[in-house]
Amino acid sequence: MSPAFFQSTLYASLALCALGLLWRVSAWFRVHIGPDARDVTFSRRVAAVFGGAASALFSLRVLRVLGTFVLDALFLRRLFANAKLRWLGHLLIVAGFTLLLLMHALAAVVSAKLLPGYQPTLYPYLLLRNLFGAMVLAGVALLLFGRWRQRRGLPQVRRPMDAAFVTLLATVLVAGFLLEGHKIASPRAFYRMAEQFSGTSDPAELKPLRAFWAREFGVAFGDLGESIDSNAVEEGRARHADACASCHSKPASAFISYPLSRALAQVTGILDSGRADIWLLYLHVLACFLGLGLLPFTRFFHAVAAPVSLLANAAARNRTQSVTVRASRRALALDACVRCGICDQQCSVAPLARYLGNPGLLPSHKLIATGELASGRILQSGHENDALRAADGAFLCTDCGRCTNYCPAGLDLEDLWIAARGDFAAEGLPAPAQWVQARPALAWAESMEVALAQHGFSDPDALFAPLSADRRSFSRCVQCQTCTNVCPVVAQGMDTEHGVDLTPQKVMNLLRLGLRDLTLGSRMVWDCATCYQCQEHCPEGVRVADIMYELRALAVHRLGSVRGLREPS
Amino acid sequence: MKYALFLGCKIPSKLPAYEASTRVVLGHLGVTLVDLDFNCCGYPARNVSRDAFAVTAARNLALAERAGLDVLTPCACCFGTLRHAIRFISEDAELRSRVTQALAAEGLAWSGHAGVEHLLTVLARKVSVDALAAAVRTPSTGLRVAAQYGCHALRPSNVTRFDNPMAPTIFETLIRATGATPVDWPRRLDCCGDPLHEANAQLSGHMTRAKIADALKSGAEVLCTACPHCHLRFDAAQTGSSDPTIRTLLYTQLLGLALGLPAKSLGL
Repeated sequence: MSPAFFQSTLYASLALCALGLLWRVSAWFRVHIGPDARDVTFSRRVAAVFGGAASALFSLRVLRVLGTFVLDALFLRRLFANAKLRWLGHLLIVAGFTLLLLMHALAAVVSAKLLPGYQPTLYPYLLLRNLFGAMVLAGVALLLFGRWRQRRGLPQVRRPMDAAFVTLLATVLVAGFLLEGHKIASPRAFYRMAEQFSGTSDPAELKPLRAFWAREFGVAFGDLGESIDSNAVEEGRARHADACASCHSKPASAFISYPLSRALAQVTGILDSGRADIWLLYLHVLACFLGLGLLPFTRFFHAVAAPVSLLANAAARNRTQSVTVRASRRALALDACVRCGICDQQCSVAPLARYLGNPGLLPSHKLIATGELASGRILQSGHENDALRAADGAFLCTDCGRCTNYCPAGLDLEDLWIAARGDFAAEGLPAPAQWVQARPALAWAESMEVALAQHGFSDPDALFAPLSADRRSFSRCVQCQTCTNVCPVVAQGMDTEHGVDLTPQKVMNLLRLGLRDLTLGSRMVWDCATCYQCQEHCPEGVRVADIMYELRALAVHRLGSVRGLREPS
Repeated sequence: MKYALFLGCKIPSKLPAYEASTRVVLGHLGVTLVDLDFNCCGYPARNVSRDAFAVTAARNLALAERAGLDVLTPCACCFGTLRHAIRFISEDAELRSRVTQALAAEGLAWSGHAGVEHLLTVLARKVSVDALAAAVRTPSTGLRVAAQYGCHALRPSNVTRFDNPMAPTIFETLIRATGATPVDWPRRLDCCGDPLHEANAQLSGHMTRAKIADALKSGAEVLCTACPHCHLRFDAAQTGSSDPTIRTLLYTQLLGLALGLPAKSLGL
């Protein structure tokens, strides 16, 4: 690989990385999430964030920020508290990767300066390089295992870009180990070095050195045969001490590459003639550069965004922050999320998500949907179903705050969900109580009639509304109006703009008349306070409030399926 | 006496004082509380799917059953919801088989062994009012307190079995045990307005304010609650309001003060 090629690709990937970082970081000030964030301008957000950071730096809070950086950003205290195995995995990856970067990738500027007599082929660097690589591989395995073990039947967020990036990382490591393993066994590499450092590449002349290197260093010379002359080995040892020993330790300490080289020794002739040393090096280096360039565009950007989020928490003067700051924190949250899924495991409504088959209830999925809502992607045609399900999920959140409490990146997810609900509502996807009441009950009934004529309804009534589907549960109603008289919602007045349209007794009567569809969109059903006064007082034992609940559930299901259908004009 | 503590979704994040005061008061009275891996009680799911509501609630009950404990919840809505779930699953064999199947996926099972109690029913009937009164050190003598019952604990009485739904006395009896004087107020059994807040904030606000005005008119100094939904709704309605306001107090705080526990430990 020519230095010019190496440098130009390195600088190209560095430039891509820098542009990507700039683009992604600027999104923290550009992206609007939440109706209250819309009027906060880019410049105000930048000023608020940098003003806040500056004021933290010149106050005692800087100590808290430093503590957070060490404990939370470097050593992931919050992850340690909740998922020890994954904490270990993450630490292994970060430590292994950082050490590889410093000792190996930046050898020319770090190791060569700091470590006297550094040569990558000397002990202990052979060992350390393998160790660091093994740490990264073990860490990845632990993380994957942790994810698998804790999924609890919950669907996990999967995105092709992220998978591609993990594959790229694996390529770097595997190509690195293969390259090292191949070079250990490669006669071609041996002759190149021999030519360079002992002035000859004549196999006959090099016979003693070859014998030594075959026995002690594992070079797979095809022409040496089974028996290696011990005298030749001893002669080779002396020449090795002169020409090679200052740069080469025995490779056996490379506990991954060396065993690998034993396997590759069987095919070393093919690999040598196919110049595997060249293309494995290209693969290793180019995968590194590609990863570097793409990093800001994948979820591994969290390596930047998550520490920023943690530090911002520590720097904040108060727990509750102004909307100017929160606007940026919300956009930052989209990037800082690691997709670890710990929030999903802690989510109060996770059983609901499982049973309803709608992952849109789960925090990690909601975060993606929130981002897609902010970029407008989920609102494009073809995604209607995704948008509806995401909105359904968003509004079933109980604001229990567990996701926020457990998030290893310290994200204020609760604030994000409230903001996202505001955005869904603004885009015409509000809570069921809102979208149902946006049309009168009669209009809904007519839409349902159209749908019934077109394709019918597939849902069995007994599943959603067994009481209202069974006339025995309401046929005893004698229309005495006791339910209406004790109803606190009716008591607030039916004639005002915000009063109800029907009374509980009228709802029961519509059921008796077989006109259930007329009740589904009615204000009485949706404004029912579920105080159970009606049911408690009913002299006939009709379960009025239970039926109201059922009608709402049936309405969400049925009216949801005809939301796009307007009544014929 | 030992219960699985079911806090629900609102208390830990929105009303931590209720969790703190419940733990310290019950601990003081010798009630052991166990924390299990509970989820949402199922209350919000009732508006969406009867099945999903039943499965969600049943998962909690199955967890308590596996631990061999009854559930104690300080939330009236969680209490009513869990009691409702027991009724629905018991009376509908098909629903029960769907619930059983869903729980089996997690290695859980519901057989109805775990009972569900509200904080007030445990205090009044298990700990006993006499034991409470005997433990009082600093009675709140003369403090006029309005009891906010909470609809979902009280009704429907054949499901919740909380107290007489028309003329309940449990809350007033418990208030009296602290040395305070319960106030008779006409709207004491009315809805606080909270369940309606999302669907119709204006209507909900009318209901909340009507209750506050009624409690004040009846001479109450304190509005005492035993449900996070009621409590938070009253607080929210009074925040920044120009109307006359009333002090809200959780029953565990009122009791804790009378027991002589430090105000700070009660979240005050």
